[in-house]
Amino acid sequence: MSRPQLRRIAAPALAVSLSMGMAIVGLASTSAGAAGTPGVTATTITIGATVPLTGIASVGYSEVAKAADAVFKWVNAKGGINKRKIHYVIKDDCYDACGGTPNTVAQTEALLALPVFATVGSLGTPTQDSVRNLLKSNGVPQLFVNSGSTDWNNPGKYPMLFGWQQSYTVESKILGTYIKAHYKGQKVCWIGQNDDFGSGGLTGLKDVGVIPAIQQQYSVNALVASNGASFAPYMAAEKAALCKVVFLDTIPGATGAALGNAEAISFAPHFVVSSVGSDPITVKKEMGSIPDPEAAAHTITFAELPASTDTNPWNAWMRKVIKADPAEFPGFTNSTPIDGNMAYGVGWGVAFVEALRAEGKNITRAGFVHTLLTTSFQTPALTPLKYAATNHQGLSAGYVDVVSSLTSTTAVKGKTVYATTGTKASKVTVTHRLSTSVPTWLL
Amino acid sequence: MNTFAGFLRRLSLLARAILKVVLAVVAPLAGFLRRLLAGFLRRLSVLARPILKVMLVVVTPLAGFLRRLLAGLLRRLSVVERAILRVVLVVLTPLANFRRHHPVLARGILTVVFVAVSLFATYFFDPITNYNLAAGAAMSIVIVGLSFLTGFSGQVSLGNGAFMGVGCYVAAIWANHHATTPMIGVLALATAAGGAVGLLIGLPATRLRGPYLAGMTIAFAVAFPSVLDLFSSWTNGGTALQLPQLLSPPGWIVSLFSKSTGSLTPNNMWLADVAIIVAGVAFFFMANLFQSRTGRAMRLVRENEVAAELAGVSLARARVLAFMVAAAYAGLGGGLTTLVSGSVAPSNFQLNLSITILAVLVIGGIGTLSGALIGGMVYAYSTTWINQIVSHTNLDPTGSVATSLNGIIFGALLIIVMLVAPLGIAGSLRLFIAKGLARRS
Amino acid sequence: MDGFLASRAVSDLLVGLHFGVVIGLVALSLVLIWRATHILNFAQGAMAAFSAYLGMSLLSYNVGYWWCAIASVFAGLVFGGITERVLIRRLYGKPEINPIVVMVGFLALLEAIATAVWGASGRAVPLPFSFVDWQLNSQTGQTIAISPEGVYQIVAALVVTILIVVLFRYTNLGLQLRAAAVAPEVSRLLGVRVSRMLTLGWILSSGVGAVAAVIVASNFGPGLTPTVMDAPFAIAFIAAAVGGLESPWGALLAGVAFGIMQQFVTDYLNNSDYVFLIALGVLVVVLMIRPQGVFSKSVSRRV
Repeated sequence: MSRPQLRRIAAPALAVSLSMGMAIVGLASTSAGAAGTPGVTATTITIGATVPLTGIASVGYSEVAKAADAVFKWVNAKGGINKRKIHYVIKDDCYDACGGTPNTVAQTEALLALPVFATVGSLGTPTQDSVRNLLKSNGVPQLFVNSGSTDWNNPGKYPMLFGWQQSYTVESKILGTYIKAHYKGQKVCWIGQNDDFGSGGLTGLKDVGVIPAIQQQYSVNALVASNGASFAPYMAAEKAALCKVVFLDTIPGATGAALGNAEAISFAPHFVVSSVGSDPITVKKEMGSIPDPEAAAHTITFAELPASTDTNPWNAWMRKVIKADPAEFPGFTNSTPIDGNMAYGVGWGVAFVEALRAEGKNITRAGFVHTLLTTSFQTPALTPLKYAATNHQGLSAGYVDVVSSLTSTTAVKGKTVYATTGTKASKVTVTHRLSTSVPTWLL
Repeated sequence: MNTFAGFLRRLSLLARAILKVVLAVVAPLAGFLRRLLAGFLRRLSVLARPILKVMLVVVTPLAGFLRRLLAGLLRRLSVVERAILRVVLVVLTPLANFRRHHPVLARGILTVVFVAVSLFATYFFDPITNYNLAAGAAMSIVIVGLSFLTGFSGQVSLGNGAFMGVGCYVAAIWANHHATTPMIGVLALATAAGGAVGLLIGLPATRLRGPYLAGMTIAFAVAFPSVLDLFSSWTNGGTALQLPQLLSPPGWIVSLFSKSTGSLTPNNMWLADVAIIVAGVAFFFMANLFQSRTGRAMRLVRENEVAAELAGVSLARARVLAFMVAAAYAGLGGGLTTLVSGSVAPSNFQLNLSITILAVLVIGGIGTLSGALIGGMVYAYSTTWINQIVSHTNLDPTGSVATSLNGIIFGALLIIVMLVAPLGIAGSLRLFIAKGLARRS
Repeated sequence: MDGFLASRAVSDLLVGLHFGVVIGLVALSLVLIWRATHILNFAQGAMAAFSAYLGMSLLSYNVGYWWCAIASVFAGLVFGGITERVLIRRLYGKPEINPIVVMVGFLALLEAIATAVWGASGRAVPLPFSFVDWQLNSQTGQTIAISPEGVYQIVAALVVTILIVVLFRYTNLGLQLRAAAVAPEVSRLLGVRVSRMLTLGWILSSGVGAVAAVIVASNFGPGLTPTVMDAPFAIAFIAAAVGGLESPWGALLAGVAFGIMQQFVTDYLNNSDYVFLIALGVLVVVLMIRPQGVFSKSVSRRV
């Protein structure tokens, strides 16, 4: 064989040997044969989640899973649940755009290969939609998805899929009721995201009879590309139309853009903001140089968990738990404010450990789902968490609170807790079924 | 006028003074850093040489080595053994001649063998390896298209992520509306859609060179998510679009595994198999294209446009064709990616994706086929490798160092590869082998 | 008069101008590097943001805004010089894909280092002037869509551009810079230190970029983050291509034009998704008519 011939074979031969190398590496990695429930041993239970630790959605949202992990570590320090310690594997999916490349499905596959008992507390609507079929076909429960979409309430098609928070429609119905009571007769304008977050929120407003005079949608793409300038014409139009109440179904970055632009043009309506984008600490982080954005505007928002200034016993307990986890919350002291994301994470973290405890010594996936469907859980949320065979959404009640300072929210006078569901016909009612005490075994 | 001249002079003096200060700071720092970098790179190449030597011994085809050995032995052996050895030679030499005279068929056989071996191997891999293989194979189809466009035809394009997105979305939308179309049909549609968009972008691109061409492809890549949002009634806008059902393996594959292994293992094996077969076919056609008249014409266009025109090659047609081919391949890779992962979202197709595709192609080796394969594997495995590094060095996986590790390693790797081995892994290896063989003569 | 100034069209124009000058500055820095060394600096935005981080880290030592801003620009100047000497030196004469990929790698590296050191959430940059729009009429509450901060940013961008143009066109140093770029061999014979001129090109460009980064970081949005310059960079690239990579004024004007177009499209079409589509269309049309950009003077070959 001559040199040119050798050279021509070199390339494909190289490719073959490289893939053989890859094969050897692949053969070397073993997968544990699963006997019994996957992810569960006598001493541990492994659960996982894909969350945005980096990237555009990470500001604020990266803390949610860490706060839940703090709860798991607290419980593990007490000996675990039924002698089992919880091993929580958090994977970064950068909201499905790590370095521009889609990552959620790959990270979920990595979790499935571990294996995990269930995914608990993964974040994001499009991200979790994209793995619903994958988790279903592998029989893995998808629990406490961090999103207000109604996609998680589909018991017929996805029996092992459960949400955690109230849907965007429920929140808007309750806030709409507040608007009707306190801003009677004033002109309402609405800005929302151009996906189911916005449309769900708008539906809720209309369901209780609040029809916004101006309805505008924004896209996250344009918001990022213009560094907030894309909101200037929206606020200018609303100022020109003399809107007195502005309802925002926005993520924290967009809330900041709306408030900043409003302040720039000296436009000061009553702002009512969805809980998705109202946490004052997160909004401040997204607003760079504007001092004190929300408190100055006395923004009204919704809370399914106790407001940070509430003397609810869960608030004190949360502080203890987060302080006990310096690895994930470095520099947290008694005076560090707890932001809404931490409270949110602690909320479903507690829900999981309670469900685990209620399940008992013998854990199976089907049994766990059954426990979820038949038990009422006392969590940091204002109302008990109760699923039903026809309702996998999660919480469905809360009260209205106002942003009272740069770092805290306060419930409005009366602290009335309202409940409703997402269907058009169901009314907004006052509920007195509240959960206030921390179970003794968690203290 | 005097005052203006005076002002200019003062401005010039001020500028010079500032720049002198800056240079005074820059010069020693830069000198130090440059020596540091040069030393590091030198040590890297010194380290690489023995590794490359080992690989050379592994990679050099056994036939040539055997031939020389046999020829040497021939002189010392008995007649019978000589006869046997002569028969062996008679079998081997025609193989080489066969490859020379029937390149397409030889390439085809090589592809079939490679694919068959890989398919056999996927049975033994664990599901996460199979998933990464599937994703990597799909991405390598996209990368090989860019390899052709940029490496061969010399047009720097930063829009391949958007072409891939076209394929992804066409596949997803079609599957949602016509669930019964077989996989091949969906993939063909995605390829055709990619090619059509490639024609649309390639036509204005014929007159553009260098930065202006890059600017246009960037504009396309940046506009693509907005287009997806605009057609949200088809694409579901900001919410992701899912395939109605995941790709599931046929019954006989599932029966190869015992019931207790669950459905993840056979599913992922099927994904990997499908991806490998499609990639094999795609690479086969690309290999033929590289060696064909069209491919050679494109290479001429890149190297010397005047000579190409004199040789009768239509510049515009060559350039547009290159775009169409690259976009069609990107569409195919995109459609395959959708089948493998089961969903698409606009956030997957930012400008970053196009840049990452170019980057992994360069690491693999621009203008080569094996380089595209390497690039695809690097792309698919980078998350896994970073995860392993994080767990082995006991870094906090949610801390700021661990999450930026991907960018640090990727960025540093790109810079080092471009400075030390600009032809990429495959290209440099090929060069090294060629040099090594030349030295042996 | 008040009604006109507060009208929708004028407001969009002013906001667009405010947003566009920053794009124009980044485009200007790209043009500077292209004219000096014929390289596309993909890390321009990241280098600028990194310089801003370095300068703004002085804020924690209670240093005032102006000193921090000057420190950022100085850091930008030095950073540009070091990058040219250490990295770019090795890339002259190589095929055009090499510097592109090296700078892409540099971009990823810089953003990752910035994230590791300073974290991903935004760092507030103080505003030297008020960002509240000027009141035209205290009774009607009408405002004109520009604030003292906005005027400061526009003026800063204009001043920087004018300084660069004057430097290039009317001073001896500028002549040397242009000569080194256009005819290096001849200039060397005439005593111009060509390698130093190349470094100076990068120094100037990086300084301009740092100014742009400080301005971008001041606007409300997430403040200063590692990736804050990614979107402005992509837009500036497109603007520079339309305006022509040979002309500093062309770059600034194209950036401003994009900003104004963005505001008008978002306002009147009520859908910001059309912005980039229109930008792509404009780019294709312009480059079909003049493949070297609107304001470039060089002639290109037709195919």
